Amino acid sequence: MDVVNLAFVAAVLGSSAPVLYAALGGALCGRAGLFNMALEGQLLWGAFSAVTVSWWTGSAWAGVVAAVVTTTVFSGVLALGAVTWRADPIIVAVGMNLLALGLTGFLLRELLDATGTFAPAGLPGLPDLDLLDGVPVLGALLGGQTLLVPLALLLAVAASLWVNRTSVGLRLRGVGEHPEAATSLGVVVPRYQRATVLLAGALCGLGGAQLSLGDVTAFTENMTSGRGWVAVAAVMLAANRPLLVLGACLLFGAAEAWGFRLQGLGMPQQLTDAAPYLVTLVVLVASRLRVRRRLDEADPVAAVSAAHPEAVVHPEETR
Amino acid sequence: MNHVPRRTTRSRGPAAAALLATVLGLSACADTGSGDSGGNAAGGETAGSMIVITPNPVGGNNFLELAVEGAEAVAAEQDLDVRVFESSDPTSIQQNVEAAVREKPDVVVGLSFSLQDAFATVPVDNPDQQFLLVDGCPAPQPENVTCAAFREHEATYLAGVEAGLLSRSKKIGVVAALDTPFIRRWVDPFAAGAASVDATVTSTALFVGGDNPFGDPARGRAQAQVLADGGADQVLAAASGSNVGAFEVAASGGFQAYGVDVNECESAPGQVVDNVLKHVDVALASAVTEILAGNAGGAKVYGLAEDGVGLTALEDDVASSGCLIADHPDVIEQVQQVRQQIIDGTVTVDDPAAG
Repeated sequence: MDVVNLAFVAAVLGSSAPVLYAALGGALCGRAGLFNMALEGQLLWGAFSAVTVSWWTGSAWAGVVAAVVTTTVFSGVLALGAVTWRADPIIVAVGMNLLALGLTGFLLRELLDATGTFAPAGLPGLPDLDLLDGVPVLGALLGGQTLLVPLALLLAVAASLWVNRTSVGLRLRGVGEHPEAATSLGVVVPRYQRATVLLAGALCGLGGAQLSLGDVTAFTENMTSGRGWVAVAAVMLAANRPLLVLGACLLFGAAEAWGFRLQGLGMPQQLTDAAPYLVTLVVLVASRLRVRRRLDEADPVAAVSAAHPEAVVHPEETR
Repeated sequence: MNHVPRRTTRSRGPAAAALLATVLGLSACADTGSGDSGGNAAGGETAGSMIVITPNPVGGNNFLELAVEGAEAVAAEQDLDVRVFESSDPTSIQQNVEAAVREKPDVVVGLSFSLQDAFATVPVDNPDQQFLLVDGCPAPQPENVTCAAFREHEATYLAGVEAGLLSRSKKIGVVAALDTPFIRRWVDPFAAGAASVDATVTSTALFVGGDNPFGDPARGRAQAQVLADGGADQVLAAASGSNVGAFEVAASGGFQAYGVDVNECESAPGQVVDNVLKHVDVALASAVTEILAGNAGGAKVYGLAEDGVGLTALEDDVASSGCLIADHPDVIEQVQQVRQQIIDGTVTVDDPAAG
């Protein structure tokens, strides 16, 4: 069994796309100074509404549009709760995640008359990019994927450019890094935060649709299975920078896909399950070490005091 | 019969659950869907009564529908009053078991391992009530709990024989939910059965794992694709809700699939060979009959000999099952011989879940 080949990269791209959408949304919220932990719930909601509307209308694209619209509306809970009413965003997010899990299970029964799994014959899924068949490399990478997979990659680049190279992006960063300064320059902080949360909702809708109409064509209760939490980890690992988020998501996806292949070669499932988390720990430790070294170089005083703690004079001792 | 339904004392439990359900969107409801007792629909005096508790709503769940059919069959045969309490979540399982005990039926029947926790505690507090747990067993097992278990590995072995005979690439595989000794009953015997007819066949097992092993179709699909890319052409899907993904790979021509528990041949029309069946109706009816005859307690195990497990290929209606195996009468014939050998004891199937 090949461990790395084009099919492997294609599998990683496909399985990472839903996580990437959610993580991009989370990173933008992070840039606006709001920790969006409701990615799991929004992703699940997007997956559910995509399948429901696709089934009702017979059009997978209508499902995608519905997922974007309804998940944006759903993210309004966070926008209203955490921005307008200034509730703790973590508590609001926990509530949203639980609500999405319970509500999708309930509506699955009420609207679609199914329990556990909804995958009827004839449920329209998103088409593959057959156009690319025969194109070297690109065909192998994206030919079997839906349009939403390359779109996720493009959006990651676009988000990076938007945040770093446009004036709106600059204001967004200002809102997150120093809200008082942004306010003093006439930027309405809550308006930027609300808009970003809603944008993240739309992205999660796309991610959910890719999961339930692209990756597979089915809805299963709790089918996101922690992908939203992996996205939160990616956001934190990448410190809210969209291009690094892309890297982190691909890293997680590769770790998972590699885990499957290693299982096939006889490695126990319990160990391969841990692969994405091991990778996270390794990268976190490595990146902290690098940041530490850079800080030491940038601040000679801190470097000296770190190297010679006995030389540091503590104020309370002199008193 | 001396059963006095004390509805007033338990109206609060399910009501509170229903309120909570509205909040969380989980509809919990005890006592819904009282099933008919077949011959006793008129509500006259019956010789006895039983209450069946399901872990999930019955509608749409083939396995539970089959169990209720078995309950109704034995009820008609033994002149019993049968009612079905459907659960929707762990809280309502516990409430349903307690509500059933208060009704004092002759036997309280639980379905699947989801009821193991409730059946480990409630029977201890109600030593005079008889309980039957089908497809699961609490540990430790209270004296008044009878367990009905299956030798699934025997049927899996037969499916392996089919895979061994039908595989062209000589590579087969399994996508299973979790790597546990019990779930390995759908893994190891599949490889062993195939190897028994063709020693050159190699089998690869992948386990979905992760946060939601029984309901992660995307991971199930990714793993099935890994097997397909590796050349496997006969794959058993034993991953519950994650099976959808595996069947999608089968439908797109990746391999021919095998289902589990019920007939899943329509999940990927023309690409599913056969199913490892669990005749939960047979086991339930037979176990209830034994308990009513005073032969309660212990574990009753149903394998090929008792017709508790089987394959779609061995059913009478295989021709209309939609399964590929119907096109291979020679394979069916060979499987029937192996089945007889297992029943006779000339072929033994190792149980991965044994000690």
